[in-house]
Amino acid sequence: MSLTGDHAMPTSGEGGIIPPSPAVEMRGITKRFGPVLACDEVDLTVERGVIRGLLGQNGAGKTTLMRMLTGLFPPDSGTIAVDGVEQVITDPLRAANLGIAMVHQHFSLIGALTVWENVTLGESGRVDRQGAINRVEQIAERYGLGINPMSRVEDLSTGARQRVEIVKCLRRDPSVVILDEPTSVLTLNESRVLFSVLRRVVQEEGKAVVLISHKLDEILEASDEVTIMRDGRVVREMRTSDADARILAREMVGRDVTLRSEAAALGLIDEKIASGGLALNLSDAPAHPAVMADTAEMTAPVGVPPSNGERSPTNTRAPVLRLTDVRVAGGAGHPALDGLSLDVSAGEVLGIAGVEGNGQTELGDLLSSLLDIDAGTVAVDGVAIRCGRPGCMLRANIGVIPEDRHNSGCVLSMTVAENLVMSDLNRLAPRRVLSLRKMRKYAARLIHEFEIACPSPDTPMASLSGGNQQKVVLARELSRKRGLDVGAIEYMNNRIRAAADNGVGVLLISAEIEEILAVADRVAVMYRGRIMGEMKRGEVDLERLGLMMGGHAA
Amino acid sequence: MTFIDQQVDITTDFEPEEDAPIPTREIRYRRAILLVVAYAVSIAVALGLSAILIAATNHSPHDAFEALYTGSLKTRGAWGRTIEQAGPLLLVALGSVIANRAGVFNIGQEGQVLIGAFAGTLVALKVPGPHHLILVLTLIAAFAGGAAWAGIAAGLNIWRGLNVVITTLLLIFIAQEFVQFAVTRAWFLQQSNALGIASPQSDIIAPGLHMPVIGSPPKFYLQSGFLVALGFTIIVAFLLARTRWGFRLKMLGHNPNAARHAGVSVVAVGGAALLISGGFAGLAGGVLLTSTVFSLQPAMANNVGWEGLLVALVARNRPVAVVFVALFFGALRAGGGFLTTTGVPSYLVDVIQAFMVLATLFPPMFMSWLDRRRVRRAAAPRRVPTTPVPEIAPAR
Amino acid sequence: MGPTGDVSTILSSAVRLSVPLAFAATGEYVAERAGTLNISVEAMMLGGAFFGVWGTSATGSVGGGLLIGVLAGLVVAWVQANLSHRLTANQFVVGLTLNVLLLGLTSFLFETWKLTPHQAGILTIPLLNHIPIVGKPLFVERWPAFLLVLVVPFVWWLVQRSRFGLEVRAVGERPEAADVSGIEVNKRRRQAIYLCGAMAGFGGAYLSVAEVGLFNEGMTAGRGFIAIAAVIFGGWTLRGTILGCFLFGGADALRLALPSLGVTLTPELLIAAPYLLALIAMLFFAQRNRQPAALAQPFVRGV
Repeated sequence: MSLTGDHAMPTSGEGGIIPPSPAVEMRGITKRFGPVLACDEVDLTVERGVIRGLLGQNGAGKTTLMRMLTGLFPPDSGTIAVDGVEQVITDPLRAANLGIAMVHQHFSLIGALTVWENVTLGESGRVDRQGAINRVEQIAERYGLGINPMSRVEDLSTGARQRVEIVKCLRRDPSVVILDEPTSVLTLNESRVLFSVLRRVVQEEGKAVVLISHKLDEILEASDEVTIMRDGRVVREMRTSDADARILAREMVGRDVTLRSEAAALGLIDEKIASGGLALNLSDAPAHPAVMADTAEMTAPVGVPPSNGERSPTNTRAPVLRLTDVRVAGGAGHPALDGLSLDVSAGEVLGIAGVEGNGQTELGDLLSSLLDIDAGTVAVDGVAIRCGRPGCMLRANIGVIPEDRHNSGCVLSMTVAENLVMSDLNRLAPRRVLSLRKMRKYAARLIHEFEIACPSPDTPMASLSGGNQQKVVLARELSRKRGLDVGAIEYMNNRIRAAADNGVGVLLISAEIEEILAVADRVAVMYRGRIMGEMKRGEVDLERLGLMMGGHAA
Repeated sequence: MTFIDQQVDITTDFEPEEDAPIPTREIRYRRAILLVVAYAVSIAVALGLSAILIAATNHSPHDAFEALYTGSLKTRGAWGRTIEQAGPLLLVALGSVIANRAGVFNIGQEGQVLIGAFAGTLVALKVPGPHHLILVLTLIAAFAGGAAWAGIAAGLNIWRGLNVVITTLLLIFIAQEFVQFAVTRAWFLQQSNALGIASPQSDIIAPGLHMPVIGSPPKFYLQSGFLVALGFTIIVAFLLARTRWGFRLKMLGHNPNAARHAGVSVVAVGGAALLISGGFAGLAGGVLLTSTVFSLQPAMANNVGWEGLLVALVARNRPVAVVFVALFFGALRAGGGFLTTTGVPSYLVDVIQAFMVLATLFPPMFMSWLDRRRVRRAAAPRRVPTTPVPEIAPAR
Repeated sequence: MGPTGDVSTILSSAVRLSVPLAFAATGEYVAERAGTLNISVEAMMLGGAFFGVWGTSATGSVGGGLLIGVLAGLVVAWVQANLSHRLTANQFVVGLTLNVLLLGLTSFLFETWKLTPHQAGILTIPLLNHIPIVGKPLFVERWPAFLLVLVVPFVWWLVQRSRFGLEVRAVGERPEAADVSGIEVNKRRRQAIYLCGAMAGFGGAYLSVAEVGLFNEGMTAGRGFIAIAAVIFGGWTLRGTILGCFLFGGADALRLALPSLGVTLTPELLIAAPYLLALIAMLFFAQRNRQPAALAQPFVRGV
């Protein structure tokens, strides 16, 4: 088997020659998006014959790092060397020519086409049907990936589609294969199959594999070496054999357990805490790259003193929101919400921690009246709600601040005032006719209260900065009377706390533990569609949290 | 839609720290002037091309344009003709505006006009009663007929997810054959004294059922159909700008996702929009029936449906602008009849009209290109300003 | 004439009526597989019809006329493709306007210019034309009709077997994924529309130059829309599309022949048949998801 492209290194066969330079060496990689430091002087070495796990929460920087490696955008500083030769990877084509390939989460597959057609898509020249089919079969057989080149992709299971993506990736015979959270859609068995394929790829072909994951089990089982990232920095590198779940969890989530829980208990988190090199400041890298926004304007507490760290939620009557054993089908064949149960009481903030992709989006969609439940119940103030009908949650006074505020939260082509009244029209315009004057007054009030930076209520939404747009969505949802709010990844902790103080029950879904700890009274962890466990604010044990987030019921 | 589909690309989802420059008043004025200039240039180009075409075929552009002008705007009688032509166009366009605003693309107006006329004819010929009442009922029936015809497409979309554009298109031709069928069957609507007339039609409706006309040609005359259309324009403009329903409609058209999150029922609002647009087209058919044609004829729509749709699009779905564009198109139609006196085939009008529509496509594209250049933001996920074609029902 | 003679005549008529449709529909098939809903087929056909005749008048040859008809279709296609899929105009507005434009333009020019058309000659395939019943319809036609035999398999091969076709199909199903795989989405769409223009132009030219022998105002009479119906009826497969064309042509032929046969079937139903059948087919096919998923959805990267 020969290597392609610029590589000059010989294959390492079984126990063969160890090549002098690693396949990829990234040094001092830094990348900034506006105020957000996604990667901070990151060093990463990817050697042949090794599966390197890249562990971290969302926003840790691992995906960003790999995207730079595959040429989607350049680093601000730092170097990347491939096989010892420094390279500038300008675009994905260049990366492919250098032998670096990433297995996409099948957004590059076309359902109506067959497997072999998908694999050959993007190549040039005549379509050599038989040749393509043969190649697919060869690759599939070599790596133990059972797929039929003639099947249509839309007929395949998710695991099979994953395998097609892998074949598509491997057809160019790359020397570095990157997988980004590959098992988020696979069953346990399918994951096992994947790992054995990776093992083979690495041992027999001398390729290098980078496995991005947030799942501790996966890292422990599949990787040889692990690099743990947090907040854009590499915090630890170790051989997987030296690691265990606790160590990984701790590193993934943060070192200073004691200090932080104390601080959390004292309600001091909203001030800047510099401890152990960790600044707890909301202007740090927020959780999910997709909603990176300007959070700088949100941090100043504006003189509202934090209420005391302990709040006693009114537990006397039925919880404001109760989900019991809720099941919602996911698109991938296994349930997105898998027996989820939680309670939120009036005046309390329940934080849902967990890495993205474990059902949080579905939970948000459910509470936005977009999904119907397959089993279980959703009750507001003790009254069950018929889910799935448009507006059912709104009528029950549940407001939602969606994750992706652009798409779901606001209409960019409308004005700020219009966006502020959008979801509450029935209340604000009870007689069907909108009074523009009243709308503007209401909008002006919210703009003032939430400190949204815009010249007037009639400013087009699209001209606001990301942070201010988020404030608009927040302002809208938090102002629902006696409403229940579902939070998104960014928020203004003061506002949320104020709402809670007013008796609103808040369900805050976030992938950033620090954000949750800043406001939540209780923290629950979501993994694969259910709640792994919960703990009260004062008892937060980050290690335990990390374990739960990684899939270990603790 | 699973969480997998929400892979997002970091490069396209990020926004910069600074606020995008909010257009100051000065910039807004400049922009408005630029827009007017762009339109003027485009229209001038269109007219110029038309003139070249006329000249190239050995006719006189001057004579041709003069004939157009004479037929449409020169005399008071001409104005009357223009307004008469504009009325049905305006009605169809209003319906299109509503549908387009909701993001539903109905292109079947040409058929809905016919079915509206058909329904109106049924009432006009078969329902006895005092004339004023029957006239009103006729128009109501016309609205209902058009709405029902569009409703077929709505139903197919909601029930089976069929693309609204395709279904409304196909229904046009079915409507045409249906009406042809109706007026060639004695038991149905065929004219009672048909003496082998080449162009079949229904019985002529009673004179008392004609829509009133103020004044009479050759002096200025005003078809009440146009007044009706104007009245509806005001109503529609109000509904769109000032009511909850209009607000929800706009939300749906701009961002169906956000609309759903805000509790807007895509089916209810989108479906209603489609029905109403069909209804207006049907009403236009009713107006044609009771103002100019006076019987059901298979060819009576005469492109009112197609042109009304184009009027709405040229006017960028703004109710007020629609009035002026409708008048303009009406003028073209009215003037076209006079062209033949100059030896220029009346088809020229279609050519001019088409050039005009094509010309008006450019200014908005030009402006958004300018906007993109001025506001240098990293692209946030947003739709480019083509009229979207989402379905009424949420994606399967 | 005996019954077989009748059938043969009707079949001849059916074939004759189907051929222009088949050319145009084959083109539209490619365009729709690429995800564009091109409603200017009517304009392409009409342009081909008029300029085809003008071409025979100008060049004195049938072949020249047909070629010019193809060019006319291409010009229309160029406008449609570039306004809709390079600039961001709405493809339906452009298509509709082109239809209006071409109708007006061709009628206008027809009344202005004097044309001396030449009609294509009939080609008879020896021996085969003696096959009973189907011999005459299939093997005695104006010679351009036989090009269909070459064109249809070529288009099939193009869409199903060539790199171009693979990318066209990808672009019609999921343009974002095609984009990620390095395919120029809008370029492929434009190319598909050009192909449609050439074929529809030829279909129109065939209608005027070969079949009828001259031009009449608006002579395509909605055939462009029937071509669209054929593609839909055929479930966006080429085989189904051609079948649809012949079905629709047959219905038309039947309708024309019925009075002389003394049978009365609702003619309006027969005229409306293509559209009704297309609707029914859509209903049926909705369950099997045959429509190109990205049909009628414009593509802009970064959105």
